[in-house]
Amino acid sequence: MATSSKQFKAIGEDIWKSRAEKTNAELFAFTYGALVVQLIQDYEDYDEVNKQLEKMGYNIGTRLIEDFLAKSSVGRCSDFREVGEVVAKVGFKSFLNISPTVIHGAPPPPASPVIGASPQSLLGGSSFTLTFDENPLAEFVELPEEVLEGGLWYSNVLCGVLRGALEMVQMQVQAVFISDVLRGDESTEIRVTLIKHLEEEVPVGDD
Amino acid sequence: MSHHLFILSPSDTPLYELTHYSSKPVPSTTSPLAANLPSWSTSAFAGTLTALSGASSTAQTHNTQGGPVRMGGGKDRHVIQMVANASLDAIEEVMRKESVMYLKSVDKFNEWTVSAFVTPGNMKFILLHESRNDDGIKSFFHDVWELYVKTMLNPFHTAHTPIRSGVFDGRVRASAKKYL
Repeated sequence: MATSSKQFKAIGEDIWKSRAEKTNAELFAFTYGALVVQLIQDYEDYDEVNKQLEKMGYNIGTRLIEDFLAKSSVGRCSDFREVGEVVAKVGFKSFLNISPTVIHGAPPPPASPVIGASPQSLLGGSSFTLTFDENPLAEFVELPEEVLEGGLWYSNVLCGVLRGALEMVQMQVQAVFISDVLRGDESTEIRVTLIKHLEEEVPVGDD
Repeated sequence: MSHHLFILSPSDTPLYELTHYSSKPVPSTTSPLAANLPSWSTSAFAGTLTALSGASSTAQTHNTQGGPVRMGGGKDRHVIQMVANASLDAIEEVMRKESVMYLKSVDKFNEWTVSAFVTPGNMKFILLHESRNDDGIKSFFHDVWELYVKTMLNPFHTAHTPIRSGVFDGRVRASAKKYL
């Protein structure tokens, strides 16, 4: 790997520190909380709310990746493993000042014999899991019973952000919550699975 | 000796109630009071005294002082709630004159004293207690206030949502044990 994990951490720290405008964490948590409550009142169906949160996150992610690439000097990632490291150590650190831990999933068995050059983890099916020990979005939140039973993933916007951002760098991924402390689980985890690499598309009408 | 805490919203709907049995020593005046009550009142309130104080009651000899068992069944709950409701008028009277948060004791009813605490958000905390314990009660109210503020920060909670959180309940009980 070109850049080691310690260097990623340092890059993340630097970007966080060099940000001129930071926002108040409580304000951020309250705003997000009001947003979720309003969505629940509007849609009344927790699956729909989850979808909407993910959609909103997707829109945020597609724009966020530009900011991220501009500020960080991280180049193209060689494999999906590195993507996971960069997302966790540089991405989350520079925007939310949190450092989730990354656990890489087992590489998938090759569908057809792959000769030397392309590493396994570029193929679809690789995944990594981010484990959050703190979640600034859910700072004061306790889910009431109906919400718990309804199956709401409170911070689902983060999954959308990951999907949107990675799609802009030509990776189609699926990001889902595995567990959430708000739901009573032991930890908050998101699993990101690579579906496929997207081909560079030539804009229509160029020829 | 027991204490009853009620948390009321600005529209006087009860959001939370707690009954706490203190393990602190009971002043011995409770049993003589039973004898002082006129006979017409003993029916409803003898139930209160003997059931809740558990001091020297032949009818309920199995109750031990300070035990956390809920005693007395439904009879005394009504009395307690009636007393709490009656005190609301007294609270409003005091609030009109001065605007402090901790109103020491707004009402007295046989052996129950009612103390109140009104937050800036117009939430009322009402505590029914038997003995005097101003400082302890004041600290307890402040503690409950802080816990309440933390509950309010939850986006799913409005000023009129009943408080059902187990965490809040546990913490209020711990605070009650500490101060009462």
